[in-house]
Amino acid sequence: MPFIPVIGFLGTDYMKIRDDFKVVKDPYSGEDYVVVPPIIPDVAVIHGLKGDRFGGVTVLGARNDRLLATAARKTIAVIEDLVEPGEVLPGLQEVYVAPVHVDAVVVAPGGAHPTECPGRYEIDAGHIMTYLTAAKDEASFQNYLETYITGPADHEAYLEKVGFRPSEWK
Amino acid sequence: MGSSQTESFEKMIGAISRLLKNGEMVVTGTLSPLPAAGCLLAKHTHAPDLEPMLYGDPENRLSEGLHEFFGVAQKGKVDVFFLSGLQIDRQGSINLSVIGDYDHPKLRLPGGAGSAMLYSMSRRTILFTMTHTKKLFVPKVDFVNAAAFDGETRTPWRRGGLSHVVTPLCVMKFDEDRKRVVLDSLLPGVTLDQVVENTGFDLDVAGREIPVMEPLTEEEQSALRGPVLEKMRTIYPLVCRMIWG
Repeated sequence: MPFIPVIGFLGTDYMKIRDDFKVVKDPYSGEDYVVVPPIIPDVAVIHGLKGDRFGGVTVLGARNDRLLATAARKTIAVIEDLVEPGEVLPGLQEVYVAPVHVDAVVVAPGGAHPTECPGRYEIDAGHIMTYLTAAKDEASFQNYLETYITGPADHEAYLEKVGFRPSEWK
Repeated sequence: MGSSQTESFEKMIGAISRLLKNGEMVVTGTLSPLPAAGCLLAKHTHAPDLEPMLYGDPENRLSEGLHEFFGVAQKGKVDVFFLSGLQIDRQGSINLSVIGDYDHPKLRLPGGAGSAMLYSMSRRTILFTMTHTKKLFVPKVDFVNAAAFDGETRTPWRRGGLSHVVTPLCVMKFDEDRKRVVLDSLLPGVTLDQVVENTGFDLDVAGREIPVMEPLTEEEQSALRGPVLEKMRTIYPLVCRMIWG
């Protein structure tokens, strides 16, 4: 879609700072509506519990990951478990993202750390605090990056570094 | 928790609960543990037919995802929604974008997300905040992310606006005639002076008798620390551990 009407922006300061938000007349009712252009991400990275080698994945519905996958030019799905295509069934809180929307699948157990993967592991509040503290100034943030991001050789080494072990997983 | 004394956040939950009416569809969004607890408390006490739609509730099954919430609101099914802001002003506008000048901000915030739409499409909106200071309650917000009303030229599709504001000190309400926020009641243990001193705009208290909210009843207290807390632990486990232990 070239643009969509969004209700509620008239009378807010968005109209002062966003010159890409335009007011158009609804051809049906004649009322004024604010329309906004689409967001088309170059790459979307979504995280799912289960997926197959063709790109079918189940993701948490509330995160709008399916919407992201359909909007982006390229989508990378990070999954906890690789399963057979017939076993990719969405759970109660999940939705299914079809392979047509997914360009690459990365099997990375613990891939959502330090955020949560509902049903598998909780948010790592301690590590989030470490990150927040480190992010307060440039030097400590650089130190954080070296310790946890650029330092560890791979994802497994990262999980080892942050003290996140598969034994803690459900 | 450990003590039998009602904590400040529990009084807020009680205040929110009492603002909700039986049969209403009440939706809470992200980072809204107190409103979520308020909904559950209302359902366990005076409003058994309340329909809570709580973001993050594992029992709340959606067919599409979070944007479905927005669709439900646009259809006009949402009776009550909750919003907050880093600044709230006398006209009920909220700021979630920036402190200071937009191009040279003192602080850049995440932004308003769907607040503008939800403020206008929910039948009524209750604002809540965990702190009550002059920095938060300002005469005019630095940036209007969402407005409580549309002014003179009322947009035809606007469905509702500000109903109440719940803080750790008091409950305020929106005066529909004058389009401004006024003081409604004090939370137990709070003085009028405390509220006035910590609010950056006139709350229209001169010559008015401001009632103090009735303390939580035993029924409310035991529902809150029983089934409500039990359910809350499935939606906001981390928050529950932090505030209730």
